[in-house]
Amino acid sequence: MLKATNIHKSFGNKDVLLGLDVSVKEGEITCLIGPSGTGKTTLLRALGGLDMPDQGTLDIDGTLYTFSPTHKDTIPDPWPHITVVFQSLFLWPHLTLRENILLPARNRWDDFKAMETELDGLIASFEMAHFIDQYPNEASLGQRQRVAIARAIMVKPKYILMDEITSSLDIEQVYKILTRLEELKGRGIGILLITHQIGFAKRAADHIVFMDKGETTESGNASILTEPKTKRLKEFLSMVKMAH
Amino acid sequence: MSVLDILLKYYPAFLNGLEVTLQLSSIIWGLGLFLGTLLAVAGTKFKYWIGIPSRCFSFLLSGIPILVFLFWLHYPAQSMLNLVINPFYTAALTLTIVNIFAVADIVRSALIDFPQQYLTAAKVTGLTKKQTIFKIQLPLILRTTLPALLMLQVVMLHTTLFASLISVEEIFRVAQRINAQIYRPVEIYTALGLFFLAVSLPINGFALWLRAHFTRDISET
Ligand SMILES: Nc1ncnc2c1ncn2[C@@H]1O[C@H](COP(=O)(O)OP(=O)(O)O)[C@@H](O)[C@H]1O
Ligand SMILES: [Mg+2]
Repeated sequence: MLKATNIHKSFGNKDVLLGLDVSVKEGEITCLIGPSGTGKTTLLRALGGLDMPDQGTLDIDGTLYTFSPTHKDTIPDPWPHITVVFQSLFLWPHLTLRENILLPARNRWDDFKAMETELDGLIASFEMAHFIDQYPNEASLGQRQRVAIARAIMVKPKYILMDEITSSLDIEQVYKILTRLEELKGRGIGILLITHQIGFAKRAADHIVFMDKGETTESGNASILTEPKTKRLKEFLSMVKMAH
Repeated sequence: MSVLDILLKYYPAFLNGLEVTLQLSSIIWGLGLFLGTLLAVAGTKFKYWIGIPSRCFSFLLSGIPILVFLFWLHYPAQSMLNLVINPFYTAALTLTIVNIFAVADIVRSALIDFPQQYLTAAKVTGLTKKQTIFKIQLPLILRTTLPALLMLQVVMLHTTLFASLISVEEIFRVAQRINAQIYRPVEIYTALGLFFLAVSLPINGFALWLRAHFTRDISET
């Protein structure tokens, strides 16, 4: 399990995270929802071992790392055991999309034949065949999103953290990715998804965390999206509904 | 005597001069590019041991005309150290040092401006340090620095002419010598000018093309 407890983080004198809790279990999908600017990405970076929190505890598979203003544990590089798909994707521009996927994947597969087979499966299910040999700047945002997801899947992570990575996909593609994520769940991979697509969260999530202004406002299973208890989540859901 | 006649009559001498010029340039180009890149990389890694000292030296070097540096290494340095070095090697050493630091400056600024997100992506996908450097950083940096590096190499080719002044028998000195015999400065220096144009312009043109091409290529849309 990947678990963050009481996470605090500020940038300068701007307090962004004010004691957040979130956890990602093996074989489960946790959805993180909330208005923009509330610190979702900041939290994801802390969970991903990229930016250390100012305060709080990270539990990576039972090993505890604590952070306080006076002491910060160092985390041994957790990647690609924990991997991240960023909102702005970060595909390497000088490599073809296929090579973007294969370069890190080769480190993780002993059997290259099996790796190619796995990739072929992903290419088919994400419908990437017609652009996979192009360069990132020749692909649309939706196409690059699928490649970035495939790149993360192909490094055989135990946890994948994804930051609004389906925003430019049509419903059909979102559904396909969802299907693939559910399959990953089946393989015991833990997934954290930041998303604005409530429908997606409803269908996919085992656990939902609604955060607002750096705090967990409400959390639970998918039922909190149909019967929100807090006023803030109610407001948020009705706003999201209006926007779609 | 036309340019052609001169070339026909003196071509063995010109070829020898050309060979020396090309040998000199190859050393300067090869070592300069390789060691300059290495220096820049090492400088960002070992900031205090290599980075800062090398930038100080580079700053110092930028204040010395290349010709003065060359003459200084040719006469004072060698007499102080009680050495006599073949001027060819003195010229190669001097201009290689100049090239190393100029290359390092270009590569260093590209390293500093390197988009961090590509390194973050390398991190989270588990690329090794070596892979990150050789498969991500260097190729991308090459793309952004190649135009400037190529143009610098053309300038370095031109500075090999200074070697003639410490009596290295490169092409300019050969031209001067032949001119002293037959006094045909118009033809001889026109031919020399055309030769350098023919070598330099394609490289510079290629550099400009690369700049236009790769700048578009790498911009993330
Ligand atoms: N590196 C940073 N430096 C300064 N401020 C930051 C930095 N990263 C995020 N912030 C600030 O933290 C707040 C939360 O940002 P973010 O985590 O990206 O929110 P979200 O992902 O929920 O939209 C924002 O106000 C943002 O400006
Ligand atoms: Mg965000």
